[in-house]
Amino acid sequence: MTIGTGFATALAAVVLGLPLLGFLAISLVGGRLPRRLVRWLGPGVVLLAFVGVCVLLAATLMRPAADRSVTVVLWQWLQVGVRHWHGVAGTKGFSADFSVTLDPLALVMAAIITGVGGIIHVYSVGYMAADQGFNRFFAYMNLFVTSMLVLVLSANLVFLVIGWSMVAFTSYALIAFWHDRPAAVAAGRKAYITQVIGDLALVLAAFLIFTNLRGPSGRLLHTVSLPAIFANVGPGAHFHDGLGPTGGALVTLIGILLFIGAAAKSAQWPLHTWLPDAMEGPTPVSALIHAATMVTAGVYLVVRFHPVYQQAPIAAGAVAVVGIGTAWMAGVIGCTQYDIKRVIAYSTMSQIGLMIFAAGIGAYSAAIFHLLTHAFFKALLFLAAGNVIHALHDDQDVRVMGGLRRRMRLTYPAFLVGSLALAGIPIFAGWFSKEELLGSGLVLGPITPWLWVIGLSLNVLTSFYIFRVVWLAFHGTPRSPRAETAREAPRVMTAPVLVLAGLATVAGFLEVNFAGWRPINLFAAFLQPVVGAAHAHPQAAADLTALVVGTLLSLFGIGLATMVYRMGLIPADLVSRRAPWLYRLSLHKFYWDQIYDLGLTRPTLALARVLTRVVEPNIFDGAVRGVRDAVGALSQDFRSFQTGYFRGYATVFFAFAAIALLVLGLRLT
Amino acid sequence: MSFHLFPGFIGLSAAMFGIGAVGVLARRNPLVVFMSIELMLNAANLALVTYGRFTHTMDGQVFAIVVITVAASEVVVGLALITGVFRRGRRLDLDDLAELRE
Repeated sequence: MTIGTGFATALAAVVLGLPLLGFLAISLVGGRLPRRLVRWLGPGVVLLAFVGVCVLLAATLMRPAADRSVTVVLWQWLQVGVRHWHGVAGTKGFSADFSVTLDPLALVMAAIITGVGGIIHVYSVGYMAADQGFNRFFAYMNLFVTSMLVLVLSANLVFLVIGWSMVAFTSYALIAFWHDRPAAVAAGRKAYITQVIGDLALVLAAFLIFTNLRGPSGRLLHTVSLPAIFANVGPGAHFHDGLGPTGGALVTLIGILLFIGAAAKSAQWPLHTWLPDAMEGPTPVSALIHAATMVTAGVYLVVRFHPVYQQAPIAAGAVAVVGIGTAWMAGVIGCTQYDIKRVIAYSTMSQIGLMIFAAGIGAYSAAIFHLLTHAFFKALLFLAAGNVIHALHDDQDVRVMGGLRRRMRLTYPAFLVGSLALAGIPIFAGWFSKEELLGSGLVLGPITPWLWVIGLSLNVLTSFYIFRVVWLAFHGTPRSPRAETAREAPRVMTAPVLVLAGLATVAGFLEVNFAGWRPINLFAAFLQPVVGAAHAHPQAAADLTALVVGTLLSLFGIGLATMVYRMGLIPADLVSRRAPWLYRLSLHKFYWDQIYDLGLTRPTLALARVLTRVVEPNIFDGAVRGVRDAVGALSQDFRSFQTGYFRGYATVFFAFAAIALLVLGLRLT
Repeated sequence: MSFHLFPGFIGLSAAMFGIGAVGVLARRNPLVVFMSIELMLNAANLALVTYGRFTHTMDGQVFAIVVITVAASEVVVGLALITGVFRRGRRLDLDDLAELRE
């Protein structure tokens, strides 16, 4: 059975429309809606949209691999100068349709957004139960899901940019959700300003593509349709003049601009400082935005634009290096933070760095597969951490926790599963995806074996910092009265956590083809129509040596954390005593906030002070005062013309207009 | 679209413009004056789009969009003014605005 295009169009509209409907209903009717209804409506629309995405996924799977990428037009949005003579559209002009890509990549992203998003919505019902802004929260969350869906489903540059910016705005609204906390408002502002830098870069890249892309005949295309763009950037096209082995300057510039956009969304260096601060938002927001969806949009963008990066090896190399560098830096920082959510945030930054690295070296399906499993186990870690924070009455410091294992009998195993998946322990989802991702480093590209070694060493850091949290928060003895009396969260909060724990355990097997010849390739085969065969099957994924070394390094990291924080065999202050510079570097997050403060904020403020104190009062105000005096002197004689009666003025105006027209008409005839 | 409709469109545009002009001159309620101005602007838009259509260029459409933009900003400013005046005097009459002369 195959599903026709008409049905797919309708279903795509429903998937996009449901969360939007939820947002409109909750925000427009607002406070008059009873909480009981919002409690069902908020998560309900997202879960229904998830059902729609599942149907679309199934329909895609039933099609033969060659025609799994379907683009449907939902409506024709903008048409300028497109002439329809006798019903035939001309070739000139410009049109932008709201068209939707239903290909494996977009649908996997949509499934994560609505599926994990739906679970997090359910969790929020419990987490936000006592909050004043319950309805507002669900309105924002639904709008966020809508924005993400527009972003990933759009087959059109214009709507991609619109979705991109809507995501930025809704994330701002959600981070600064508790608008009476100055720290939350500052964090939201910081996130939004960073996002706008990325938006700007993305828009510039879109303009460059729009103005320069040429079709096979050498004619400028002036198109915003993504399929048309990707069909024409390949080798042999006229997109990049002076194409050498390193690609043209133009296509490299486009690649780098796109990556600046991606880096802002995905919290990659140097636009990464907003993510840890964004932990000021409610914990479900952290799980939805800063683990499962928004921060992965950058990875999606790079993978979606892979035809561009394949023409621009320099840009792709920059992407890979920045990704692995950020992954390492965030890993180091994660080892010394005390805020449980910040540790997980840095862990997210680090894992996204790995995905960006994979996308940079061309291991696209590995990147998306890690994105999928990461969405499960990282949302799980955030939600489990949310349970802990809830139990401790909003205290996030691991130093006041301890011994929670006995008090939170459901949250503890869930957090443990998430940590094992993150650390990359066999059977758990993270193991499959991370080892495949790192293994691809061995085969793709000339310098990537070195990057692979860096990535492998990251395994130690990852398992170390997450098990540091496990031992500190859940084991040992309670270190505060709050930890002694902590109670397990209500069922509406533990159930989503347990569902995610199940997913984080089994999702890795999505990649395993039990019936196939090559064992690790099922998910990659699914993505193959989008990313191409060569990039879907990195052979080294099954490389046994890489697998064993990676797993052993992860186990080593766990062992190290156990020896330091559980058994006390190694003193915890070893590094801070022996290498205080390293400890301080990590504790102060590599001083990036201070660097930006000194390098950007303070010079800007100083400049503004000079402008307000010197330039504004003397030069601008002086000029205005001069004009005022001059006009005042001149206008004394003309005052009597001013009667103040509007209709008098209008009559004179119309009369002169009529006279002018008359004169013009007489001269023409 | 056939050419014999052209005088119809232009005639409609001229009629709308005339009605709008009379409204601007004759009415004292600023809201009605505003509506009349909108009528004139849209008459101009209709003329622009019509000419663009019949000369096979897109200039008319582009210009109409510019006019719509200008009209929107003008309404924003104007309505703010009217609201301000109404708050002061609780009365809507253009001739009351004569006091702004001083």
